[in-house]
Amino acid sequence: MDLLSLTISTLFFLGGFASSVWKVRSGTYHHGYTNLVLIGAGFIFQCFFLYSRGQLHGRCPITSGAEILVFIAWSLAIMYFILGRAFRLSLVGAFTAPILVILHLPALIITLFNPAEPNPTDSMDPWLEMHAAMSLLAYGAFALAAVSGLMYLIQNRQLKSGSPGLLSFNLPPIRYLAAALLRLIIIGLLLLTVGVISAFFMRTAPSRLHLSVSGGVWFVYAAVLIYHLVKRPPAHWLSMASLIAFGFALITLSVI
Amino acid sequence: MSIFCLGVNHKTAPVEIREKLAFAEKTLPDSLREILGVGEIEETVILSTCNRVEVYGAASLTASALDSLSNFLIGHFDVDGHEVEFYRHESEQAAHHLFEVASGLDSMVLGETEIFGQVKKAYATAQEAGATGKRMNKLFQQSFSIGKLVRSNSKIQHGSTSIGSVAVDLAEKIFGDLTGCKVMIVGAGEMSRTTAQSMVSRGASGIIVSNRSYDKAVELAELLNGSAMRFDDWETALRDVDILISSTSAPHPIIHAKAVDSHMKERRGNPLLLIDIAVPRDIEDEVRHIGDAYLFNIDQLTKIAEEGKSRREEQILFCRNLIAEHIEEKGIAALKSIPGDTTDRPPLDTNRPITNP
Repeated sequence: MDLLSLTISTLFFLGGFASSVWKVRSGTYHHGYTNLVLIGAGFIFQCFFLYSRGQLHGRCPITSGAEILVFIAWSLAIMYFILGRAFRLSLVGAFTAPILVILHLPALIITLFNPAEPNPTDSMDPWLEMHAAMSLLAYGAFALAAVSGLMYLIQNRQLKSGSPGLLSFNLPPIRYLAAALLRLIIIGLLLLTVGVISAFFMRTAPSRLHLSVSGGVWFVYAAVLIYHLVKRPPAHWLSMASLIAFGFALITLSVI
Repeated sequence: MSIFCLGVNHKTAPVEIREKLAFAEKTLPDSLREILGVGEIEETVILSTCNRVEVYGAASLTASALDSLSNFLIGHFDVDGHEVEFYRHESEQAAHHLFEVASGLDSMVLGETEIFGQVKKAYATAQEAGATGKRMNKLFQQSFSIGKLVRSNSKIQHGSTSIGSVAVDLAEKIFGDLTGCKVMIVGAGEMSRTTAQSMVSRGASGIIVSNRSYDKAVELAELLNGSAMRFDDWETALRDVDILISSTSAPHPIIHAKAVDSHMKERRGNPLLLIDIAVPRDIEDEVRHIGDAYLFNIDQLTKIAEEGKSRREEQILFCRNLIAEHIEEKGIAALKSIPGDTTDRPPLDTNRPITNP
């Protein structure tokens, strides 16, 4: 059931990506909601996967690498639905879909070769659940910030070249991208702050490594944000920083 | 009864002729009624824009109606019959011509949207004047459907085709909505004026004009509802404007990278669009390397406009096929048999190939 849900979800995200590429190439990206519908369908099956794993373990489904990857993808999809569209970021779905696929593919391989075993816990710790859920939601916001940053860099390059092409026509304006990027980093940092604070209330104290990694990611994003707010460097600096910081966050995730 | 079209456009007549034949908006209802009395014309619509003057109509004998209408127009506008050559389209060709006009395929700026509104307005005026009947109603309603079909299913409107519209598109790619964007013009030339006007039409405000001749700056500022600034002071405003359009006749750059760079630091991350339409260039090319500053010169703007034109031209055939498919499927409504019309000719074979007018 969980493997099937994950496979169907991945196929929908793949379809969303293919549809975006086709629409951008044909210059009809602004027509219709195909991409949104496909990512929405993928999201529903993603929820089925997480629900079935949640039922299996009797707790938040973040007990394995596959589940953590799918949970981050789920957070990214949520952020896309809520914030990506609210910030009027045309084409954000086209950039989100391949990242969802990239996050799902290793999860799919892991699930294929290592069927899930029940991994219940003796006693539920709401602070642990809060820590994990908020941290992964923060990763979703940081992922979407990285998507916005990448879109900014592409749009910036197109405009700086003096001959913007078809892609530039479909990408959102520079100012919207810069504003969305900043807001997403702030939202992600707020969510991560709640996640890190929750860790201090957990029944079993987290390992020093775990704490260092969470604190490290928090520190990197806080430093990026403070530097941006105080120094106000050109917006491409924040875009680069969002990509590098997200890369760092993904690496630290493998340590946890 | 059949339909016809008689007129001149930007391809067949120079502006000197078109302006002589232009119908005044105020007297259009009277002109429509006058035409109804010409050569047994039973219905009529006048489409009079800066690029075309066309009279559409329905009559039992279209050939003689066209002759009478031609003579009427020559007399009405008091023009020499030898200097005006009207094009004449009858039945399918007339319908096909209107469909292309409404779709923007016959416009000077291919795919422009203004013509669609002008056709609608011409039809509404004729309707109010009581000059339309079943034929014109069906013809114009179908032209609106086809105009929408072509615009929503093709890329005929994609890309900008003039320097002004390219500049506006670029500004929107940087700022999104231009409402509240401040524009500074350095050098009060014609190109600056049209580019700034394009920006204002999309919501830009707070126009500042700076020119070596202060009087000219004041004149242009009044025209654009903005304010004038002495030429020696323009640099002080750089910190607050979003878009700078420069077109002075200075023999060397007057906007230096160093100055822009120092102002960008004060702008706290706000982007700045610089449009240099001067030759020789007014803005140092190094400006493009400054973060959050976007520089476009006349060659780049022209290239983008040319690409836009080519992309639209590539769409002509596709759009014509869309129109042909529509006609093949639904026929030409105005040429179908209308109940109660005793002058109807037999139904037309709409499947036969349509000759492009």
